[in-house]
Amino acid sequence: MNGDQVGPVGLLVSLYRQRALLAVLVARDLKARYRGTFLGYLWSLLNPLLLLAVYTAVFTFVIPARVPNSTVPYPLFLFAGLLPWLFGSGALLDAAVVLPDNGPLLKKIVCAPEVFPAVTVLSHLVHHLLALPVLLAATAVVAFLGRAVFPWTVVFLPIALLLWVVAVAGISLGVAALAVHFRDVKDLLHNLLNLFFFATPIIYPLEMVPIGVLRRVIQANPVTPLIEVYRDVVLLGRIPSPLTWAWAVGVAVVCWVVGAWIFSRLRETIAETV
Amino acid sequence: MTAVRLTGVSKRYPMLSRRGRLHSLKGALLRGEFWRLQQESGGFLALSGVDLEVGRGETVAVIGPNGSGKSTLLKLVAGILRPTQGSVEVNGRVTALIELGAGFHPEISGRDNAIVNGMMLGLSRSEILRRLPEILEFSGIGEFFDQPVKTYSSGMYVRLGFSVAVMVEPDVLVVDEILAVGDQLFAHRCLDRIARLQRQGTAILLVSHDLGLVEQLAHRALYLRKGSPVLTGAAGAVVARYRSDVASEEEGVQVVGGSARRWGNGAVSLDDVALVSTDGRPMRLLSSGESATVRIAYTVRVPQEDFVFGVAIHREDGTHVFGTNTELDGWRPEHLTGSGEMLLDLPHLELAPGRYLVDAAVHSQAGLAYDYACEATSFVVSAPVGWPGCYAPAHQWRPRGPAMSHRSG
Repeated sequence: MNGDQVGPVGLLVSLYRQRALLAVLVARDLKARYRGTFLGYLWSLLNPLLLLAVYTAVFTFVIPARVPNSTVPYPLFLFAGLLPWLFGSGALLDAAVVLPDNGPLLKKIVCAPEVFPAVTVLSHLVHHLLALPVLLAATAVVAFLGRAVFPWTVVFLPIALLLWVVAVAGISLGVAALAVHFRDVKDLLHNLLNLFFFATPIIYPLEMVPIGVLRRVIQANPVTPLIEVYRDVVLLGRIPSPLTWAWAVGVAVVCWVVGAWIFSRLRETIAETV
Repeated sequence: MTAVRLTGVSKRYPMLSRRGRLHSLKGALLRGEFWRLQQESGGFLALSGVDLEVGRGETVAVIGPNGSGKSTLLKLVAGILRPTQGSVEVNGRVTALIELGAGFHPEISGRDNAIVNGMMLGLSRSEILRRLPEILEFSGIGEFFDQPVKTYSSGMYVRLGFSVAVMVEPDVLVVDEILAVGDQLFAHRCLDRIARLQRQGTAILLVSHDLGLVEQLAHRALYLRKGSPVLTGAAGAVVARYRSDVASEEEGVQVVGGSARRWGNGAVSLDDVALVSTDGRPMRLLSSGESATVRIAYTVRVPQEDFVFGVAIHREDGTHVFGTNTELDGWRPEHLTGSGEMLLDLPHLELAPGRYLVDAAVHSQAGLAYDYACEATSFVVSAPVGWPGCYAPAHQWRPRGPAMSHRSG
């Protein structure tokens, strides 16, 4: 552990310096994850595909659902919101245990603790990127069938995804550091994620929420703009308003700064406590 | 040049209480004082007031009973822990061999684990890739190198861990009780490798309960007890002190008269230790190859059935030169009483020029010191030609080829 005070910027610098190690560790995670499975990396593609198939079946035949004011099929709408959400919540849940899991390394080898939450987020990002073609292909199929126009706005996806990654990475850092000291964080996180899942327009479009207090609450939810910009550009073919963009950028930056700040405050105590 | 310098180092571990933790979360976030509140009052003082310097190429052993703070000291040097008080200065790259193969991932191959481990220890990817053949060769794992680590035997696991760690060629190596890994062959290879690092100028700080190994590898030693330093000095003397303390504990005897240079329970005391010539005159200066006698004058306070006299000669930097005792030389102790002299004759003291220090001791066969005197006397060997090392045997060149030049004069 080198350097006394590492702020949010210092953490970024530290991670950048260790990019080679990060790459190797992410590769290790991915290799380890599918080791011994017959289909290997295909699972990264198959999992979202099967998920999409199930949703399509359920929301077409069992509970026919539609997206108001849009021709986009509901299962695809749900899928486009669910993919980034699963990436984020998966990364956070893993971040809550990543430092204790790597306790031997932290205690027995000198290494920078921020590497581990970063690796968690990056591994989940890789899985997300592997699942993304399923979404794009499904969108293309729907466009081909004439149900919707292929969203050319997808060129903005890298920006929307970057904002989401920055936010998730920041919160992951904070959660990882706090979870070392407070084992309750993991359970708390589970419940918070559940709450936010329903408080964010993922399974329903924002327009379906009756105008009033409830919609204000959902609009004020900081996760909302991040998911909205993502789904707008990747599926709905809308360019979010500058206000939504600004709101999303603000949330991402604040998440990073706060999370990284918590982490850098507790950084020294991590190796002693895990 | 100093590689490691510890000044007044103390380490206090917080005692974790649920309430204490929650209580200080706000303080932790706002002022970064996560432990300070508890550190000042409660907690467990694992180490206190340790001063230590390790020079480049020097090996220092840390010895002491379990729970004396040895591992804490190593972790402080490795940078894994931070001292509560005092400062730890380390110059250069540190590699900590605290647990071999720490963090190996069971599902991926030895090769991939070696790469990850090497990078964690501070090598770049290309450096570690270049050294992979050497790691494979050194570890002797063979075809298992490309198998998942979970299929390894525990011996293979530590062998791979050690191989990676020493390939890093650190400036400072911190080793915790791990040299006895693997089979006899691998243990020898480890020691060879350690010796090579020593020659390359790596500063080594090692913890071991194998006192023989400590005497063999270390120049100096630090003896810790309950977190406080008892003695720092030449490895042989410090080990002897520790052995004596252990023996006295086993017998339930309180050690008296302990100081840094002299200790023992006083049952027999060494009144005088001197290097004398054959006619009994004290010598301070002798030429290489001369004969000399170490004369130990003693007084017995409590008659002993069990006693060993010992003498050790070393250089000022801690290098062992020679050591023996009556037990090693086949003496059977019978009865020791009254006062007298013990003489050790050295007919040809073939030493290289320089200053030598002599330790003398009388102790039980188990190592309990009656009286142990470090650096009881010293002498200087002179020679017409300066010579590195310690040993200067009588020697002669014999030319046998054509056109060799003859000795002048």
